Amino acid sequence: MDTSSLAHGIWVFGDYRNYFQNRVTLQLIAKGRELAETLGTSVTAVLLGKEVHQFAMEYIAHGADVVMVAEHSALERYQVELYTSLIARWAEAFQPDILLGGATSFGREFFPRLAKRLKTGLSADCMNLSVDPDTGLLIQTTPAFGGNLLAEVITPRRRPQMATVHPGVFKELPHNVNATGRVVYPEIEVNAEERVRVLRSRRQQVRESNLEDAQVVIVGGWGLGSGEEFKTLFELAELLEGEVGATRPVVLAGWVDEGRLLGQTGKTVKPRLLISIATSGALQYTTAINGAETIIAINRDSHAPIFKMADLGLVGESSAVLPLLLETLRKRMSGARRR
Amino acid sequence: MKYQESHLSAHHNYLVNGMLAQGFSVGDSGSRNGFFLLADIVPFSETAPRISARLMDEEARLLVELEANRIRENPGKGSIEHSLDGYRIVNFSGEVLMEVRTRAFANGYLTLLRARLFDEHGHLKVEPCDESICVYGGNYLSRGSNPKSEVIQGRLRQGKNFLHRFRGRLPVRDVSCLR
Repeated sequence: MDTSSLAHGIWVFGDYRNYFQNRVTLQLIAKGRELAETLGTSVTAVLLGKEVHQFAMEYIAHGADVVMVAEHSALERYQVELYTSLIARWAEAFQPDILLGGATSFGREFFPRLAKRLKTGLSADCMNLSVDPDTGLLIQTTPAFGGNLLAEVITPRRRPQMATVHPGVFKELPHNVNATGRVVYPEIEVNAEERVRVLRSRRQQVRESNLEDAQVVIVGGWGLGSGEEFKTLFELAELLEGEVGATRPVVLAGWVDEGRLLGQTGKTVKPRLLISIATSGALQYTTAINGAETIIAINRDSHAPIFKMADLGLVGESSAVLPLLLETLRKRMSGARRR
Repeated sequence: MKYQESHLSAHHNYLVNGMLAQGFSVGDSGSRNGFFLLADIVPFSETAPRISARLMDEEARLLVELEANRIRENPGKGSIEHSLDGYRIVNFSGEVLMEVRTRAFANGYLTLLRARLFDEHGHLKVEPCDESICVYGGNYLSRGSNPKSEVIQGRLRQGKNFLHRFRGRLPVRDVSCLR
């Protein structure tokens, strides 16, 4: 491979936090490999951090042609300004055609900033990527209008063409121990005058849920209105010996931890019974519950898309329905115990 | 923007000048009289590094000649001390001439060297830096299967100034021509 392959090509941002569970970078490298073969170009994984040697080797083993590395103690922790300025400088120098990253909480913060800095477009939360055979442009398929339709987005004039993709959308290539590649260390300048200083970081303690294996799942959406209201779902789940899941707005609001997130960026469930309460039925969420045997939907909006996939629909305010449901279930449970 | 590069393997690499390299050599690795250090490519069926070298002191006297991790000539009366993750070469007075340690990752290996080595003219060619070594002068990062005969990607700049600049900023090549 000659040095000109560093210019242009497909870049994948290396998100190695929580590796080996977090596989999104490997999945994007695999997709990048497929796109690169169509476009006749190379795949470069971009890696920032301290002592990231093993990740460079992993990315080569999983299909990257090149790994571009910045090793520096200042990069040990993610700092959005520093990361943005470094990658932006590299992108301006090397001019990649495509820049991909995971649609994780990290990607959601970092990629919009980077796109703004590079004055280019960004398609967030993509569900597919392909190449237009006529133009060679990247077709970025992403949910639009609240997830009610899928839009195909192109970036015809600006470069790089940027997209974030949900974890699990693409399959990673198997680890190839015989693989070799190039490792490139561009010059870096670490500005000590960052506006944001990370004083310390602490991993959030998350209570493990057993959502994937649960036979009964109760899912709450943003329509519940408050974290207090959401807590009643745990009472319902306890009565039905189930688990509680949530949609993304609920997680973003901090009503529950991310371990309970259902959807493209969260978990996928296949329970015998799923009760979906105050969820509209956005595509990002419903793809994760398709495997449920029976779905009961409760929503005040009779036109909510969730009713289209529900086996049983109940139109009403959750604040009115939930207490009645809990009371009825409690009576039945105590009655059953007496018998 | 300037950059340095080398070739890496998914299986095993050395850390030299802060960079991953599947193999590298310093000096003439075929020399029978002069100094050299050869860190050969490790095939995926093996996990141990392959180090060959002629280790010399500041006065250009041969201390130990090493061939594939084994002492071949030993005028300095050195010895090999093995450990769980590698080995070290010590001279008759117990001074460590070279240390070789291999770190195992989940799916690969990284070998770190520590040594202060001189060539046949008494010039410093290798010295410890950060967690491994930095090398001076005509050294090569391997490109193909055998760094003895294959050439060579990314010849490093010569001189100590380069190494000082290397710490923190990594200039070497201008890629403006690629745009």
